[in-house]
Amino acid sequence: MDTQASTRSPALSAVILSGGKSSRMGRPKALLPFDGKPLIAHLVQRLSQRFSDIVVVAAPDQTLPSLPVTLVHDTVAYQGPVGGLCYGLQATRGTAAFVTSCDVPFLQLPFIDYLVSQLDHHGRDYDVVVPVWQDRLQPLHAVYRRSVVPHLQEQLAAQRLRPVYLYDTVPTRKVSPAEIKRFDPEGLSFLNMNTQADYQAALAQWRTLSVPISCTVELFGVARLTARTSRVALTLSAEATLGDALTVLGVECPALLGSVLSADEAGHASLQSGYTCNINGQDFVRDAHTRLRAGDSLLILSSDAGG
Amino acid sequence: MYGFHGRLLRIDLTTQSYTWQDIESSRLTAVLGGVGLGASLLYDHAPPGAEPFSADNPLIFTSAPLVGTGLTTTAKYAVVTKSPLTGFIADSLSSSFFALELKRVGVDALVITGAAGQPTYLLITDDGVEFRTAAHLTGLSAQETEERIRHAERTEKGAEARVAAIGRAGENLVRFATLSNEGRHAGRGGVGAVFGAKKLKAVALRGHCRVAVADTGAVERIAATLRERSVGPQTAKYREIGTVANLAVFDRLGSLPTYNFQNTPFVQAEALSGESFVTNGFSQTHGCAACTIRCERLFRSLSGEAQRLEYETLFAFGPLCGIEEPDAVLRAARLCDRYGLDTISTGGTIAWAAECADKGLWPELRETGLSFGNAEAILALIPDIAHRRGVGAALAEGSRLAATRIGAEAESFAMHVKGMELPGYEPRSLKTMALGLAVSPRGACHNRSGAYEADFSGQVDRLQADAGRGALVAASEDFSAVLDSLIVCKFLRKCFDDFYSDTAHLMSAVTGWDYTAAGLKQVGERINTLKKLFNMREGWQPEDDWLPPRLLTEPLPSGVAQGVGLTPDELRLMIQSYYAARGWNEQGLITEEKKREFGL
Ligand code: SF4
Repeated sequence: MDTQASTRSPALSAVILSGGKSSRMGRPKALLPFDGKPLIAHLVQRLSQRFSDIVVVAAPDQTLPSLPVTLVHDTVAYQGPVGGLCYGLQATRGTAAFVTSCDVPFLQLPFIDYLVSQLDHHGRDYDVVVPVWQDRLQPLHAVYRRSVVPHLQEQLAAQRLRPVYLYDTVPTRKVSPAEIKRFDPEGLSFLNMNTQADYQAALAQWRTLSVPISCTVELFGVARLTARTSRVALTLSAEATLGDALTVLGVECPALLGSVLSADEAGHASLQSGYTCNINGQDFVRDAHTRLRAGDSLLILSSDAGG
Repeated sequence: MYGFHGRLLRIDLTTQSYTWQDIESSRLTAVLGGVGLGASLLYDHAPPGAEPFSADNPLIFTSAPLVGTGLTTTAKYAVVTKSPLTGFIADSLSSSFFALELKRVGVDALVITGAAGQPTYLLITDDGVEFRTAAHLTGLSAQETEERIRHAERTEKGAEARVAAIGRAGENLVRFATLSNEGRHAGRGGVGAVFGAKKLKAVALRGHCRVAVADTGAVERIAATLRERSVGPQTAKYREIGTVANLAVFDRLGSLPTYNFQNTPFVQAEALSGESFVTNGFSQTHGCAACTIRCERLFRSLSGEAQRLEYETLFAFGPLCGIEEPDAVLRAARLCDRYGLDTISTGGTIAWAAECADKGLWPELRETGLSFGNAEAILALIPDIAHRRGVGAALAEGSRLAATRIGAEAESFAMHVKGMELPGYEPRSLKTMALGLAVSPRGACHNRSGAYEADFSGQVDRLQADAGRGALVAASEDFSAVLDSLIVCKFLRKCFDDFYSDTAHLMSAVTGWDYTAAGLKQVGERINTLKKLFNMREGWQPEDDWLPPRLLTEPLPSGVAQGVGLTPDELRLMIQSYYAARGWNEQGLITEEKKREFGL
């Protein structure tokens, strides 16, 4: 599967579980305002860039703002994530769905794309793709095939309410921290809120992320000769990816377009074959979705190093 | 027969006689030409245990099936012998018109044995061999020798001879002397010194034979595709800058060894970068015969001379010896070419001596003023090595032998594998390459495998060792063995869709024999098995597959890989994984079963 796909796939859905208890927060987490708008509205807006079918699972009596989603209510009051997962997946139209809770303000679309792509990994089909972050499985930031619904129903009947039972039953791909860090170095995707203090911290983070970051591109070999410079400073949005940086580089150094970079019709630039990129002298990367951090150095060099 | 002549020429310098012999087609299909054919003939023609400088040690030149087909980058030949530097196989490649001429004299290989009583050169034509005196050429550089012989051997009709020759270093048996033709060198392993031991100054070739290919149309179609790709983005680095482009990248990635592998990166990396050479000074592009990539770069030194410069030379005299001025590096390169010295081993041995001087381990060095970065003292040592003068006599033995004379401390930082000095790849920050260097049959070599490719592509974590590296190195060695036996230049390697299928198709079209991708892969493995078998016969021991102590005890002190080291256990783990991938036993010995598998 193409991890670069950024178009909305009809075969895939998203599920937001908003029915969880908010007892420690003292008010519904889905409605916490960010930039004056309830968090759930932000989540729906973000996920709709990838998924045309979004299902929100609310508690039996929960009221939510009007959103372009399919709204379902838990039939039985909160049964833990397995209940929400089961109802949510049943209501989706796609063959698989990305499932998230409603209290995570910093979802990273490139990382979600990657998770989806892992349903088919090295020729093996998986029913679940679940990240492992800080030694814990993250069932509410995972991808599930709709075909797991009967298993979830059995679990519910048997009152086995922990998602991990499912992972022991169906083919499950666990995504390692090293993989995650390529897209989300700080693990922002998993940052959720349980208390007022968490909410305040998230708001502070939200403000940081609206501040642009600086990165440096270091050019080697033919790229340096073509651009007639060895370094280019770039200012990028806080959540910029390698693809974004290359696009900005193409604007800053148009001479690179056509020889080192190619641009598609939408103006997105990528490296031509024969070139590769390394971040900070450490990791070689080609995936356009790789997230950059403030201060990163992007080395652009020949893919035929050595010789 | 298509693609091959099916015969070799045996020349005995002692008796001044020669004979032609058939080469079985089964041998040619099993090992192709180039390095494969050379290894196979060496195994059969070298008496077991023959000393490298003895008359018995054969000097073998091999041509290859793709030579003369018009396919880009294939004007190459191999020269194979028992190395005076390592005591194991030396298989060196060189290229250009000499390679084309070798095919024209109507043989797939020359096997030269014996030793001449007086300085001699050979003129080899389709009709046979003439043994000429070379007394008047003694002391001349390879280039001067080449010019003189070409002039002397030009026929009345103007037919030119093509010449490969040695310089002073070869005559004086410097263990890392080169053989040169048209400015190209069979550089590593001391082939030039074996020439010297045989009192053979040069080989001149003048032939008329042509080899037909089985399917001209198919060969032309493949040639056209590769020609087109050879000028595309995959080779832009070589075409625009040449191999000197490696320096700045390696420096940034913590993979450029400096000061005899004591450190990385290098303070003057920017000034010495290939990009700076190209931007700041006059540079000229050259290429081997029949090559569309043309990776060679000549840069003009301050004295106005144009000098060829490759990354390995730039590394060996720049960061490794600490020379910071680009012009001094060009002068060092020029001196090595003039005397016929392998630049990696020369730079490596001098860098080792500079550290001895630093540590006060070798009092005689004081007079030379040698220290890291002292360009004049370093340059002055090059002719001394070639003439075996003063401390140069010890340095002419290479760092391994020289270190045994100085003592254990000096041996601990003699940066060689099997006696061959390390090329410009920092093993601690390139773990796959570390393994490749340790197990390579010809010693610390960056050409007979491309193990560094895994490290530089992100395919593996280059800073960590693991048991997956053995299979990667074995596969890379097999790939290189096929490349070096067809022969195709390694800078064309990224231009194939699927290397084995494409070259199987090509070989079938050239020879009319059936080749498959799987079969060619097996050929690669067979060739590497053969090289190892030769080394085992010549006394290889498990401890020969190892790295210098410095790399296993000192983590890198700075750079992006600061603190990264390589432990003996990690190296052992990788070596065991390599033996396992090869199907050899835990001591690294080839099993009877493996020999049978390859019909060896
Ligand atoms: S790419 Fe360079 S080394 Fe290879 S054949 Fe061409 S000129 Fe010679």
